[in-house]
Amino acid sequence: MANANTPENCPDCEGRLRAIETELVCEDCGLVAETDPIDHGPEWRSFDDDETNRKRTGAPLTRSRHDRGLSTEIGSSSRLRITGRKRRQIGRMRREHNRARFESKADRNQVTGFSEIWRIISQLPLPVNTREQACRLFASAQSASLLQGRSIEGFAAAAVYATCRTRSNARTIEEIVSVSYADAAELKAAYAALNRELGLPIGPIDPTEYLPRYASKLDLETDVERRATCYVTRLREANRIGSRNPSGIAAGCLYTATRTVPTVEPITQAAAADVASVAPATVRATVDNLRELAADPASGFELEGGLG
Amino acid sequence: MDTELDRSTRRDISREYFSRERLAEHHYRSFNAFLNRGMQEVVDEKATIDTDIGDKEGEEPVHVELGDVRVVTPRVREADGSEELLYPQEARLRNITYSAPVFMEMSIVKGEEGDQRVVDSTETKIGRMPIMVGSDKCNIAGFSDEELVEIGEDPADPGGYFIVNGSERVLMTSEDLAPNKILAEYDTKYGDQIQVAKTFSQRRGYRALVLCERTRNGLLEVSFPSVSGSINFVTLVRALGLESDEEIVHKVSNDPEVVKYMLENLEEAEVQTEEEAIETLGKRVASGQGKNYQLKRANYVIDRYLLPHLHEDGVEEEDVRINKAHYLCRMAEACFELALERRESDDKDHYANKRLKVSGDLMKDLFRTALNKLARDVKYQLERANMRNRNLSVNTVVRSDVLTERLEHPIATGNWVGGRSGVSQLVDRTNFMGVLSHLRRLRSPLSRSQPHFEARDLHATQWGRIGPSETPEGPNCGLVKNFAQAMELSQNIEDEQELKRELASMGVQGIPGLEGVNRTTADD
Repeated sequence: MANANTPENCPDCEGRLRAIETELVCEDCGLVAETDPIDHGPEWRSFDDDETNRKRTGAPLTRSRHDRGLSTEIGSSSRLRITGRKRRQIGRMRREHNRARFESKADRNQVTGFSEIWRIISQLPLPVNTREQACRLFASAQSASLLQGRSIEGFAAAAVYATCRTRSNARTIEEIVSVSYADAAELKAAYAALNRELGLPIGPIDPTEYLPRYASKLDLETDVERRATCYVTRLREANRIGSRNPSGIAAGCLYTATRTVPTVEPITQAAAADVASVAPATVRATVDNLRELAADPASGFELEGGLG
Repeated sequence: MDTELDRSTRRDISREYFSRERLAEHHYRSFNAFLNRGMQEVVDEKATIDTDIGDKEGEEPVHVELGDVRVVTPRVREADGSEELLYPQEARLRNITYSAPVFMEMSIVKGEEGDQRVVDSTETKIGRMPIMVGSDKCNIAGFSDEELVEIGEDPADPGGYFIVNGSERVLMTSEDLAPNKILAEYDTKYGDQIQVAKTFSQRRGYRALVLCERTRNGLLEVSFPSVSGSINFVTLVRALGLESDEEIVHKVSNDPEVVKYMLENLEEAEVQTEEEAIETLGKRVASGQGKNYQLKRANYVIDRYLLPHLHEDGVEEEDVRINKAHYLCRMAEACFELALERRESDDKDHYANKRLKVSGDLMKDLFRTALNKLARDVKYQLERANMRNRNLSVNTVVRSDVLTERLEHPIATGNWVGGRSGVSQLVDRTNFMGVLSHLRRLRSPLSRSQPHFEARDLHATQWGRIGPSETPEGPNCGLVKNFAQAMELSQNIEDEQELKRELASMGVQGIPGLEGVNRTTADD
């Protein structure tokens, strides 16, 4: 789990960081961003009796819990049996202790929002660091008082949506809404507020972000995916993407690629449109776009070429 | 007659026992049985998830019904969202878990009894189950040696372990005392020797110790969970429906000496009828409560906590009760026989009194608690969604990481449910022999810091089952053992009813006085 001050991208070139043994190294420029981090895991010395718990610390701190995972709980022991007055007393203490977990109404709302984020993340499913980041975004939205008059679920969904986009791992609004308690309108309202007030570093979605996921949903081979990526690149170079729906472009390129890679069973436009949650007409527009590009001799682009 | 096999035949047999399929076979068989029926059994036990929705006025109650559960083969979800088949070697190298998605049919049902309608019903992904390398659901199952080499797998590797976060983990077979058997032994209480008959009664992960003691004044007392202290034997048997003196004596034994002991007990009896007995029991289990509640509680305790292993699906509680009475009479007989020195106390170290818990059994325990945790989460999610007036749908209330966490964490750390630790161990890869030995190792749950001399001794019944010499030196000596080469591990049967029919057809007779086939569960 990412520590609070562990950098997520290379501080120098914004490249992806990768953990190699005890070092965090940038994949692009090779900068060592962090070394010898503290190992929060158990120690592996063996003690005489099994019963001793080797862990001296609890779980690492996390931003995805309202108290950073530092809360305590009055549990119940299976070994020690407490009865009568003592038990009732402990029951009361437990109840008060649970109540004391929340400082304010805002704290409670944060827990609702965070658990919604946890749920969406586990359903999509997305990695743990996306969850951390989404929770942080939700918390900053809350401290910027953006939640007033908007729905918590909407903000939870928007936080996940925005985080995916900043991490160049975009999900469509439809995908997120399908697993969220919020509807599309709530999500869009919350996302607009986040984008406007917090100045998220988000640009237009690159259609290639969608390709691996759609290809795997449609059971397509890597050849097809690679050619579709190539199509997207050519369309962008020819300035033919414009403000079209990137999801539709991804679907259109995948559809065209299944037609031009000889060993592959072609898919239907409807199937491609379905995984991309767009209308078949949107897919068709990209197909026509690609054909036009290929028909233009000046572009030097062929539908059959460009693999490898 | 020449009974000695010739050398080459012996060698052939030996080689068969030493093949790749055989060495970790007990692990696969057990885990496959868990995947094929154990998981579904656990889900069927659970059957429904009830919620508190509907407690308020004017609100319709909601519950969830659980259906078929299905496991596919291991796959990995990449950061870009695509999903691919995962092979063991890739899991090891990338430090990921070799686990497969688990799907379950769930339906949300709304409405009162008699007027119920299904709101939403789908098969949804409930989590990921770590898969044993080499089991039926493993992606390399049925691969030839060449294919295995092709994907970077060692064709000689025996499998039988899990891969969690890239580390290979084997679940240690544990050697437990056989449940559902009467063990008679001597004990001391207040300086006097007494006779005790013990049964660890086990059903569906619930384990209850039932004790039947013959105290120093010759009276029989029974103790079982949820009742503090002990209860007079005669009272309990009467509460179970054996009323008359004659019946009780007759069911315990026909031996004149035992009958004498039994009559002493009956003279001291506190109650004469079934109703009285249940009332007395009620006073014990719910003292200070209203009379109706006492009776209700007494009946509940009898049906729930006393000898739970005698229960069976589709058998009336009443029939079970009389079986319980018979079972208690057998325990009483064991105590008396011990007192009369007609028998010796049972040997706990005898291998007939041992059962081995292999990976599948351990995974079943784990899956049961994980599913309960998931059910609690689903309940919470449903109540929250309902409170905020959102639509209830199966897909949105199931959080799949709940189950995944609960299944992976114990395998990764070895801290099993029920507070046992060291259940999973890192596979010993010092050399090939080390792996083989590790997969065939078994552990006694007894503490290694205490002497337990008898438990550490080599027992004659270990012949052909346990290697006589392979055991570590030091504190674990004799507690950690290894299977013999030609050991065969039998499995629990699938259908108990069928076994009983088969036994009846072979001439096994039921308890006289009970109609139909023998309904009492055979030992384990």
